[in-house]
Amino acid sequence: MALVREIYKEFEEIVGIGNISEEPVVLETYRCVAAQSSAHYGPYDQRTPTPQAVLLPGSTEEVQKIVLLCNKHGIHFKASTTFWSAQGYIGSDNAIQLDMRRMNKIEVDAKNQLAIIEPYAIAAAIQAETMKHGMTCNIQGAGGSTSTLASTAGWQGPGPSSIFTGTNYDNMLSAEWVLPNGEILRTGSAGSGDGWFCGEGPGPSLRAIVRGVAGTAGDMGVCTKLAIKLSPWPGPTYLPSTGAPPSYKADLYENFKYYTLCFPTWEAWAEAVRMIHENRIIYIGHRQFNMFGCDMKGAMVNILSDPNKQLCDLPDLLEDEEIKKQTESMRIDVQVVIAGMTMLDMDYKEKALDEVLRMVGGWKNEMMLKPDIANWALLYLIRMGRKNLNYVYCGAYEGHFGLSRGNYFYSASLVEEASAIKREWEIKHNHMAAVGGNSSMGGLGGVGGGGGVSWEFFAHFDAHDKESIKGVCEYFNKTNQWMAQKGLGGCMGKLNESSRRPDGYNRSQEEFNKTFASTPQPEVFVYQWMVKDAFNPKKLSGSYYKTLDPKAFVEGSGAASRGVFI
Amino acid sequence: MKEKTLADYKAMQERCCNCSYCKWIPLDKIKSNRFAYNCPANAYFKFNTYSARGRFQAGLAVANEELDYTEGMTQMVHSCLSCGACDVACKISRYNLEPLEHNIALKADVIEKGHTILAQKVMLNTLATEGTLIPNMKKADRAVWSEGLGFKDLAKEKAEVLFFPGCKYGYDKTLKETLRTTVSLLLNMEADLGVLGESEMCCGGRAWQMGFEKEFSKTADINISKIQKTGAKIIVTPCADCYHALKRLYAERGLTMEVLHVVEYIDRKVKEGRVTFTKPVNMTVTYHDPCHLGRQGAPFVPWNGTEKKIFNQIHTWEPRRPRNNGANGIYDAPRNILEAIPGIRLVEMERIREYSWCCGAGGGCGQSMPAYAEWVAGDRVAEAKSTATDALVTACPWCNGMLSKAVGKDGETMPVYDLLELVARAL
Repeated sequence: MALVREIYKEFEEIVGIGNISEEPVVLETYRCVAAQSSAHYGPYDQRTPTPQAVLLPGSTEEVQKIVLLCNKHGIHFKASTTFWSAQGYIGSDNAIQLDMRRMNKIEVDAKNQLAIIEPYAIAAAIQAETMKHGMTCNIQGAGGSTSTLASTAGWQGPGPSSIFTGTNYDNMLSAEWVLPNGEILRTGSAGSGDGWFCGEGPGPSLRAIVRGVAGTAGDMGVCTKLAIKLSPWPGPTYLPSTGAPPSYKADLYENFKYYTLCFPTWEAWAEAVRMIHENRIIYIGHRQFNMFGCDMKGAMVNILSDPNKQLCDLPDLLEDEEIKKQTESMRIDVQVVIAGMTMLDMDYKEKALDEVLRMVGGWKNEMMLKPDIANWALLYLIRMGRKNLNYVYCGAYEGHFGLSRGNYFYSASLVEEASAIKREWEIKHNHMAAVGGNSSMGGLGGVGGGGGVSWEFFAHFDAHDKESIKGVCEYFNKTNQWMAQKGLGGCMGKLNESSRRPDGYNRSQEEFNKTFASTPQPEVFVYQWMVKDAFNPKKLSGSYYKTLDPKAFVEGSGAASRGVFI
Repeated sequence: MKEKTLADYKAMQERCCNCSYCKWIPLDKIKSNRFAYNCPANAYFKFNTYSARGRFQAGLAVANEELDYTEGMTQMVHSCLSCGACDVACKISRYNLEPLEHNIALKADVIEKGHTILAQKVMLNTLATEGTLIPNMKKADRAVWSEGLGFKDLAKEKAEVLFFPGCKYGYDKTLKETLRTTVSLLLNMEADLGVLGESEMCCGGRAWQMGFEKEFSKTADINISKIQKTGAKIIVTPCADCYHALKRLYAERGLTMEVLHVVEYIDRKVKEGRVTFTKPVNMTVTYHDPCHLGRQGAPFVPWNGTEKKIFNQIHTWEPRRPRNNGANGIYDAPRNILEAIPGIRLVEMERIREYSWCCGAGGGCGQSMPAYAEWVAGDRVAEAKSTATDALVTACPWCNGMLSKAVGKDGETMPVYDLLELVARAL
């Protein structure tokens, strides 16, 4: 349904001609194809609703005026940045889409070791700008092409370097929000005009309310600017790379080293990770290349680091005895980068890492030490410039299991069982790429520690093949069941089902009520409803913030009250 | 040859993963926020629609008959400069998508359905009547530039090297002296040189870039026939667009002759010791890689295969499909020449080689959407100026034209040279 002319004109006056469109092709390209999104699978022919218009605001003031106008006319709105997944798209017919690409500034405050960023500043650009000052930022797991502000304000933002740099959630300092009612809120020190250095004050410390722990995926208005904490970067002001595309390789000094650490058992793996974490040895820690599958990763690394190889080389490489041996050697592994602030520091870290390996009986994989592969991996992990390798096999993937809910001792103890479930599905059906079952990947947690790893498994499926999509959905039903049995909560493959219907539309509050009334602790969702209601009374801003209407809550109705905790 | 239709790209349209890599230079290469973008159409028009991802989604909607072409959509489709920057960035991680091919297929579809931009019609009319895509030019004036140079007319005699100047060099009076000097230079290198003379016509490459497949095919087939009849062994051209058309598009249609850009030819002669630069050219320069010489300059490798799934769902091609990902373009030859000229100091811009920023002339946009094209060129000039260079050098007359037009717009001028001008100075 088109906007009435008067309202369209009002929006146009705010952003200017050329920054608003209701051209059919523009509207069509702001619909998320459910099966293509890493975060929202579904039948291919389902797309999110068509927006009434797409707007490109250029400033906080423009965003505020847009939101106020939406409130005046009862129009839903959703802001998004790089449109990585379904969370950023509108979910109702009566809605406009805000594309934040005109707001992309990056201001580095070197003295205070922070950067003030706007929504469309992508992680790769922020990193490049901060490296000029001897600093760097955490790059979220979704990679360098995604908005750091989006995952900082609206999600969690863990990444391979989080063990050193913190997650984006950890690094959030002051922030500026246009709340769903159009009010501008500056949290932390910026709220009292004292600069952007602190997230909690002096000034209104409402970070926990507008963002919470998990993030509200854009449901609490539009974050227009925020400051992030930066970390030391002991490398050059620009990270040089060499080689032909796509196999670029880092060209760094000796104070950077990449290793694939391997272990005889998952217990040894967990113990090593604990020691590495507690002793602050590494700069990056990520179980990265296992995302290609435990049987495939050796061959895949050979393909990706060699510009002359392709996926059709997989069968031959898998028959190569040396690659087979190396792949077997790194079945239980993790990729790490150590970075020395000085060569003395580097020497300590090298020795500490070797000692950890000695203590648990681990080793460094030989193939991954070859300069061509090591420098390729080093660049990959530092810049996160090739995260769309997630899609390399089939054009679509979905994270599932999501073993991050346990600490790494618990997660590691479940990997083989989860892998067996996936392997069985790969053999019995052809819905997903058969990669050996175990495709677990993820970081080693944030600075704060606590042992949390952000693991998930990858299921690679074909977005062009409805049977593949449908089959993977069935598989996620099974993984969800298993997760519940293990007390791990819902499977991340099902994460968005509760927020958005398979047809791409938002769920209604009635549907939320039905879902959350029977959860172990429905009171939590009632509280969230109260928070959301206070800031977003007209419910014009998204649906990912999971709430339960107090009217639908019956005292003692939660599963926990009945002694059920899964 | 059977041309592909939009429907043939359905699998790619559906498998594009919305990762946004097509909007940026390869992320590993980003040096600053300012010069991180790679797609001029997306950077200028801003909506995601204008990116390769947007074009995949739009193309799918058209193929599924869910979307009709409007004036706005026609403009969107034709705003692609066919520069291929999205193609390189996509293929950093994807092995089974062809964004550039699809962008051009979308243009062919919109044209097939009768939607073009007025300026394109004028260009195509001129191609039909005068054998060039440059409006107001006459067939009879094509060989005027070569008067008095005394090289062979290949319609009448044989020569080893066919020199193919292309329309821009052939007609643009401001480039005439450079062209004549270049030919003299080649003759001094003892090149056995001939031209097609008045029978030469446009290579048609620009028509292909705009999506006019039939017009391109017709032009190419006439040219191939003429070229084959000359018996020449090598074609040398100073134009990046002609180079791409002759080397890749004509090869696909059966031309078997070796095709060299003049910078490759000169680089060879320098390496063979047949040319030595003796006069210093004291200048700091930065080099702009033309899209059709650089990332699209790799040789054509024939392929006729199909998709094959392995290990349930992994997509491969059978037989192995050549990857045109910018890895084998012509980047070193022009740089080698610059480095061989005494006094020249080469400084690089942020976006170079396979991830170079387009000059704005691609896809015929210089003529069909001039304001947009000039903005694109202006962004390149700004990037050049950020290197503190004395001059901007390129190896394509179209790039030269666009960049020269944009260079003084900010009130601060800077010379733009064809590399051949510097070569002439150094000899």
